[in-house]
Amino acid sequence: MSNGDLKSQAALGFFTVLEHEQQGLIGGYLILNQAGRPLEFHCTAPVKANRAQQILFGPTLESYLYGEQIGQTLLGKSSLEPLVVCTDVELALTVRDYISLPVALVLTDEEIPKQASAESPSCIWRVDAAHRAGSHLNQFALGRNRLAVPAHRETDRQMISDRLENVAGLDLSEPFERIREAVEEAHKGTRS
Amino acid sequence: MDPSGLTVFSEQIVTWTPSLEVCAFDVDPRVEISLLPSTWAESELRAPRPRLHSIAMAGSLTGAVSLSLVAAKPKILSFEFPQFMSWRKEGTAPAETLAVDELASPTPCLAAEPVAAPDAPAARTRIKPPGDVIKLEDRLFYMLQPSLETLIGEGALSFPFHPFPYQFEGVAFLYPRYAAILADEMGLGKTMQAITALRLLLHAGELRTALLVCPKPLVTNWQREFSQWAPELPVTVIEGDQARRRWQWQQTETPVKIANYELLQRDRDVVADLGLQFDLVVLDEAQRIKNRASATSQCVRAVPRRRSWALTGTPVENSPQDLVGIFEFLAPGYLNDEMKPRRMGKAASEYVLRRTKDKVLTELPPKTFRDAEVDLSGPQRQTYQLAEEEGVLKLTEMGPQATIQHVFELVLRLKQICNFDPATGESSKFERLAADLDEVAASGRKAIIFSQWVSTLETISSRLAPLRPLSYHGRIPANQRDGILEEFRNDPSRHVMLLSYGAGGVGLNLQFAEYVFLFDRWWNPAVEDQAINRAHRIGAAGPVTVTRFLALDTIEQRIDQVLREKREIFDTIFSDVEPQQKTGLTQQEIFGLFKLRSPNGPIDLAA
Repeated sequence: MSNGDLKSQAALGFFTVLEHEQQGLIGGYLILNQAGRPLEFHCTAPVKANRAQQILFGPTLESYLYGEQIGQTLLGKSSLEPLVVCTDVELALTVRDYISLPVALVLTDEEIPKQASAESPSCIWRVDAAHRAGSHLNQFALGRNRLAVPAHRETDRQMISDRLENVAGLDLSEPFERIREAVEEAHKGTRS
Repeated sequence: MDPSGLTVFSEQIVTWTPSLEVCAFDVDPRVEISLLPSTWAESELRAPRPRLHSIAMAGSLTGAVSLSLVAAKPKILSFEFPQFMSWRKEGTAPAETLAVDELASPTPCLAAEPVAAPDAPAARTRIKPPGDVIKLEDRLFYMLQPSLETLIGEGALSFPFHPFPYQFEGVAFLYPRYAAILADEMGLGKTMQAITALRLLLHAGELRTALLVCPKPLVTNWQREFSQWAPELPVTVIEGDQARRRWQWQQTETPVKIANYELLQRDRDVVADLGLQFDLVVLDEAQRIKNRASATSQCVRAVPRRRSWALTGTPVENSPQDLVGIFEFLAPGYLNDEMKPRRMGKAASEYVLRRTKDKVLTELPPKTFRDAEVDLSGPQRQTYQLAEEEGVLKLTEMGPQATIQHVFELVLRLKQICNFDPATGESSKFERLAADLDEVAASGRKAIIFSQWVSTLETISSRLAPLRPLSYHGRIPANQRDGILEEFRNDPSRHVMLLSYGAGGVGLNLQFAEYVFLFDRWWNPAVEDQAINRAHRIGAAGPVTVTRFLALDTIEQRIDQVLREKREIFDTIFSDVEPQQKTGLTQQEIFGLFKLRSPNGPIDLAA
């Protein structure tokens, strides 16, 4: 088996965006094989919207930064195409508009409302702030994980369930911890 | 002028150009005036004459600012990591989706609890890149590896028991290192940690061949540990005649080979002839190579390898040079004899991981030491002094003919007198012991008593007859021993068991005993610790009290003093961990107990 063969095995993508108070937004994208080992890692330089963007993009600024500026650029840089892209930041779901891969939001325990019990694997609920209208998510269970897709991307749900069937036992929230550490290390390394 | 006599306002002369200037008239421009005189002079005289005021309105034209709202794409750092082939051949089960049967007889002292359910604890042990890994890509490669709990808890690799957190840390320490010493205190599971790290590296494809070198008596133990902690890994034990061994060395089917130090030395040329190269060489009881000039050290260092790990509970036995010797295997020249202990400890810290039970097994009940320092009774003291004077005189007379055996015999003789006076049968130690045991029995507790002599144990047993003590030592037939242990464990009327260090020091689980008495002291604290650990181990019901008897102003106190001094050297180098010294006395130190000269020169370690 060649190195290339190994790399062509099914992979999973994990995309997150970190907010740094001074530097701005930093995107991190990790591709793992099905054993959870890293295949690729990409991270952006800090991205910060200028004043004009803040005014003129208005409420669409965040989705522009998370989805188009960071997400699209980052995911476009990888040489491997994963089965699914997971994210732990709801705003990062907007990257779905720019790629052909299904994108799933991995929910943590704190984000799962009490009424969304295991007995109701499919329900619609809001995780966005009350003043922000129209962002609904369809939540579903996959093994030990709770995932969600935007309501208007309902077809992604089945695709995600099918593609992640073999790795349902994995804790899909764990790789984000690695990304955060790696981003910090990478930026520490590039600053020094 | 027209016939009505009115002056005609001529639009051709007064013009209005609002874009450039504002023209205002001081008089009504519709006053009849003549603006078309026939001559220049006539024009000059005509009144009223409008005066024009001009205000500049040109200014700058309104600027248009274009804002580009689509920013440039952010700069991206990209890393691609190598994927290695697993040690498994093609066509076999994928390396990292193994189904391993649970084992029937796990070792409870080395593991916390059965493998946790997937949704159990969130604790995650991450692999940290060693300090000497500089390249960012290499550092990220280690940082982005899954947590050990992820690998184990989610079924990628099965384990018979869920390791302790400190064991995960030990594995995470070894995993990324090409040179490492795991120097945990005995009983913390160095074996399990080394096997697990090796196993993970094999499954990740970072290793394909590993050689484990250990003392001969421990080969079967390592085999057993491999079958328990990495049952899917085939292991070859190098043994048998030369031809067989040569064949075994050449085997490429099994990723792990186990050889004992003596055989490796014997097969040194074979290893060289075959051009063997190992991805990892692990040395168990690595203090064996502390002497750089020894054949063992030279032979081990000659084995071609990429990674070098050393396992030892006593990285420094006698002097800091011991550590230098081990480092010659790990990173030749990194440490040297001229280094001060503190500097050496600092330099070595990146490569050495040492934990003690007190620090990591916090769930164990406390262990309390009492040093029972007793004065010999009058007759016992007389016997002792006579024996020492005669013995030293005899050794002095022997001069250079005196050997370590002669000195050793004297030491043993004096230690026996410290236990019981052979002339009168008196024993200050026993009087104290008997008083303590009455209290133990009265409170319904159980106690174990260790001595290095069966004769001493038999004397104690006869004198403690009312307490009906049980005995477990070399003179007890093997087929009776299990029954004795069961009786001690289950019979509430049995409060005392007498054990020899040799027979009872290892392998017994006596965690229901809350008191341990060391009637006499062994040469090596490690042996004493093993004895104490029969009671103070995982599963212990409550605090364990250890009473160490010491006869004042005797050979026992001098031995204790020498061991304490050696412990101080150890503490200086490994100052961040609990003091632990696991070594006995050297030949020179034994001679020094009587201010004698060893055959190798003068002694300055005398008490």
